Amino acid sequence: MHTPTDPSRIVPPTWPLKLLRFFLKKEFIEEIEGDMEELFYENVKTESIAKAKWRYTWDAIKLLRPSLMRNWKWFSTFNHLPMMQNYFKTSSRSLLRNPLNSFINVFGLAMAIGFCILGYAFARWTINTDQFHENKNSVYLITYKAQRNNGLQEYGKSPRPLGELMQQDFPQVKRMCRVEDEPVVVKYQDLVFHERVRYADASFLEMFTFPMKWGSAISLKDINSIILNEEMSKKYFGDSNPIGETILLKFGSSKSKAFKVSGVAAKFPDAHTIDFNCLIHFDNIRTLQDNYRVDDWSKTVSATFVQVEQPGDIAAMQLRMDKYKEAQNKTVEPDWAIAEFGFQPLASLHIQSENIQDHISASSEDNYSSIMFQIAIGLVMLILACLNYVNIAIVSAAKRLKEIGVRKTIGATRTVMIVQFLTENVVITSVALVIGLGLGILFFIPWMEGMFHFSMEFSWTDPTLWIYLPAILFFTGILSGIYPAFYISRFEVVTILKGTLQFGKRNPLTKVFLGLQIVLALLLITSAVLFTQNSDYVSKRSWGYNQHQAMYVAVPNYAGFDKLRATVSEDPDVLSVAGSAQHLGRGNVTTIVRLGTRNEPVDELAVDAHYLETMGIQVLQGRNFKDQSESDKRSVIVNELFAQTMNLSEPVGATIKIDSVSFDIIGVAKDFHSYSFFEKLKPSIFRVADSSAYRYLAMKIAPRQEREAYQRVQAEWAALYPEVPFAGGYQEDVWGNYYTTMNNHAQFWNVIALMAIVLASLGLYGLITLNVSGRIREFSIRKVMGAGAGSLSFTISKNYILLIVISIAISAPLTYQLMIAMFDFAYSYHMPITFTSVLIGIAILVIVLLATISTQIRKVIKANPVKGLKVE
Amino acid sequence: MKKTKLGEFEELVLLTVAALQEDAYGVEIKRELERRLNETLSVGSIQSALKRMEEKGFLTSAFGEATQVRGGKRKRIYSTTSYAHKVLREMKDIRAGLWNDMPKLAFKLKASIA
Repeated sequence: MHTPTDPSRIVPPTWPLKLLRFFLKKEFIEEIEGDMEELFYENVKTESIAKAKWRYTWDAIKLLRPSLMRNWKWFSTFNHLPMMQNYFKTSSRSLLRNPLNSFINVFGLAMAIGFCILGYAFARWTINTDQFHENKNSVYLITYKAQRNNGLQEYGKSPRPLGELMQQDFPQVKRMCRVEDEPVVVKYQDLVFHERVRYADASFLEMFTFPMKWGSAISLKDINSIILNEEMSKKYFGDSNPIGETILLKFGSSKSKAFKVSGVAAKFPDAHTIDFNCLIHFDNIRTLQDNYRVDDWSKTVSATFVQVEQPGDIAAMQLRMDKYKEAQNKTVEPDWAIAEFGFQPLASLHIQSENIQDHISASSEDNYSSIMFQIAIGLVMLILACLNYVNIAIVSAAKRLKEIGVRKTIGATRTVMIVQFLTENVVITSVALVIGLGLGILFFIPWMEGMFHFSMEFSWTDPTLWIYLPAILFFTGILSGIYPAFYISRFEVVTILKGTLQFGKRNPLTKVFLGLQIVLALLLITSAVLFTQNSDYVSKRSWGYNQHQAMYVAVPNYAGFDKLRATVSEDPDVLSVAGSAQHLGRGNVTTIVRLGTRNEPVDELAVDAHYLETMGIQVLQGRNFKDQSESDKRSVIVNELFAQTMNLSEPVGATIKIDSVSFDIIGVAKDFHSYSFFEKLKPSIFRVADSSAYRYLAMKIAPRQEREAYQRVQAEWAALYPEVPFAGGYQEDVWGNYYTTMNNHAQFWNVIALMAIVLASLGLYGLITLNVSGRIREFSIRKVMGAGAGSLSFTISKNYILLIVISIAISAPLTYQLMIAMFDFAYSYHMPITFTSVLIGIAILVIVLLATISTQIRKVIKANPVKGLKVE
Repeated sequence: MKKTKLGEFEELVLLTVAALQEDAYGVEIKRELERRLNETLSVGSIQSALKRMEEKGFLTSAFGEATQVRGGKRKRIYSTTSYAHKVLREMKDIRAGLWNDMPKLAFKLKASIA
């Protein structure tokens, strides 16, 4: 369709014109502009406007020729090119003349830069978490907030009917999706495994960006379809395409259903918080879970997500959520009353996740603090390396005094000298950047990936990398180059050429810089010592119960529990057996306990009378539960922390309320760690479980019989339940890879400390070498006059020893305080930080530094004084 | 010879300016050359040739009248200098001389091959 356009409104594009006005010589502008315009209007007559405009732009660009352009000031700087070439040549010559110094500079900077690359890759990985979702800014997790003693606590679950009602009531809600998880047994031919199945509304795959490898995402609409992730598909079907295959899912103890595989998701990006193993339609939950009613306000669903048309719609919706709040609060216990609903955008869910309880995406809190640590370490490393550079540059300038003098005599101004030294600096930094990049990509990144088992997905094509690298170059260049450049360029020609200038050796700043390096090195070495010690400490720290002798098996129901108990009880190595609804390290219920006016969320475990004894939890006050006792159904045993939190001086005999039912405290148990030492202890209670609720069987095994007993239990399980895979294990293993992680932390810091100590001693080595070679005649004369080894050692090292002592005196208390702060921040439970660790750090540092100094002393003592005196 | 050095394209532009007389301004030169060469030329190539030759003394220029179609901007009319005429004539003579010699050369070449 062509609409006639008013000819007076057709004008040439403006930006090419601006380009011309900017670049072309002023006297040509009028003529050329006129020509261009005339041609444009002529072209408009014969061809389309778009084409004429394009031709106009192209002609404008082709007009940018040297003969038509202005003479720019910077054009004249091209005359500096030969001078630059000269700088380049002298720089590379002086670099090659002092290979040791150049190595110290380049290697030090490269290590620091390599570490910065690692920090960058890790930060990018963390920040990119979940950012691959196309709808990340319009999808929200609905949360609710409830009043707790310490303010409003946000929860990631939501009332079951909420999602459907919101979709009916709000036109802004474009899509809605509920998510619920359940453990199931998956069977395909001979392969039978425990898995987690995720129920989700069909819109799940539209709201989240999970492309399919095989099959289609729409098939989730079909109630008999199942969508697997790539890993699951590999596990059951190998590399072949499983679309159309049928697999059997067993739910709970009695129900099962066959599903047709209709899709396989492509591998998820590593940095994600929400994913799935097997995905089935949400409506399956009505038939497959007992008594699941989607309209039950008193129950919650694991997560409800909504997608809105405009992110701005959320504010309007938030104002109209009150009616749901009323509906909800009528049905639940007052302790769970909702104060308000919240909306968490998917894009920032992983950052917020540490503040939200009970939500389906994984927390990345640790990653964010790790980024802070890595930035800090990277900076410290860079500073160490730059200080090396500055020191060596200042001291070695003494050797280039003549060059500086001659350059100044033939007319070099101070600016020119600064440019020269900065050029030299840029050369070194660039070389270091390239090597550092290599170090980072070939060593640091694979090292960290291997240690923590993930892929950082480092990519060369990432545009931020190409901002980051020049930024490092610039930062390092300025930090290391600016002071030497100014310092060296300041000297007067006359003093230089007369030879009266005492230069470099007496610059007090080199001492300050070296001192600063020692301070930083001590900090890093001490942290390595502490992390290693702490790793050892936590491996010996008590869990508060006997995890070495305990073992557990998950059971489907009471009947299963009973059968298994009958069998294992006959085993002579099984010392005691207990049943429970929850199990230490395998889950618990959060309950709100009311005492007087206080209401406190606590961890609750429902157990039988043998549980505490089986797990080795000590009852410190009061008594344990009695077997088959009717009255104990209204009793609880609390842990020490509970008594402490509730300010109970006499906990036994006190009465608490849970959901308006009263319970008597009959005993106090020793504090125990259900989860790893990363987690803070929580106030906890035990109550008596209804036998129908038993889901775990716990056993206490005779010492050193654990392995055999474990195998026997597995065999017995297989005889009882050939269709259901064994789900259980050693209690020692319930913390997952906590100890590996702790060892990794120690290993990580050891590498850092090693680098720091290498950098600091390289710097010291460089300084001493230069100092000694500058004073070689002095030492030779001393030797000729009869100075012995002791006297020479003293002369060489006195300045440095004093410096080291002062730096350590400053650094030690600082390090001590910082370490306490850092460990409190990083770990919930760590060893007590004492000054001994700092002393170990000091010892290591001093030994290395003295060894460095002694290499030079040896050299001087062994040298022939005659040669030294001949030195010009 | 060095002073009179004139590129092939420059020579063409110079001849066009000479031919167009008082119509010789940017767009018209471009149009005329495009017609004769039967190919599209860019404003930039014409302009830079004109400016180079003005610098070398082959051309002089002066502002002409402003027209509506040029948005009120004046044309710059170029005219050839007598020096340019001299150089052009020299070039033509050299070429003519060469053309005249060509049959003989061709004949000699043949003879030497034989």
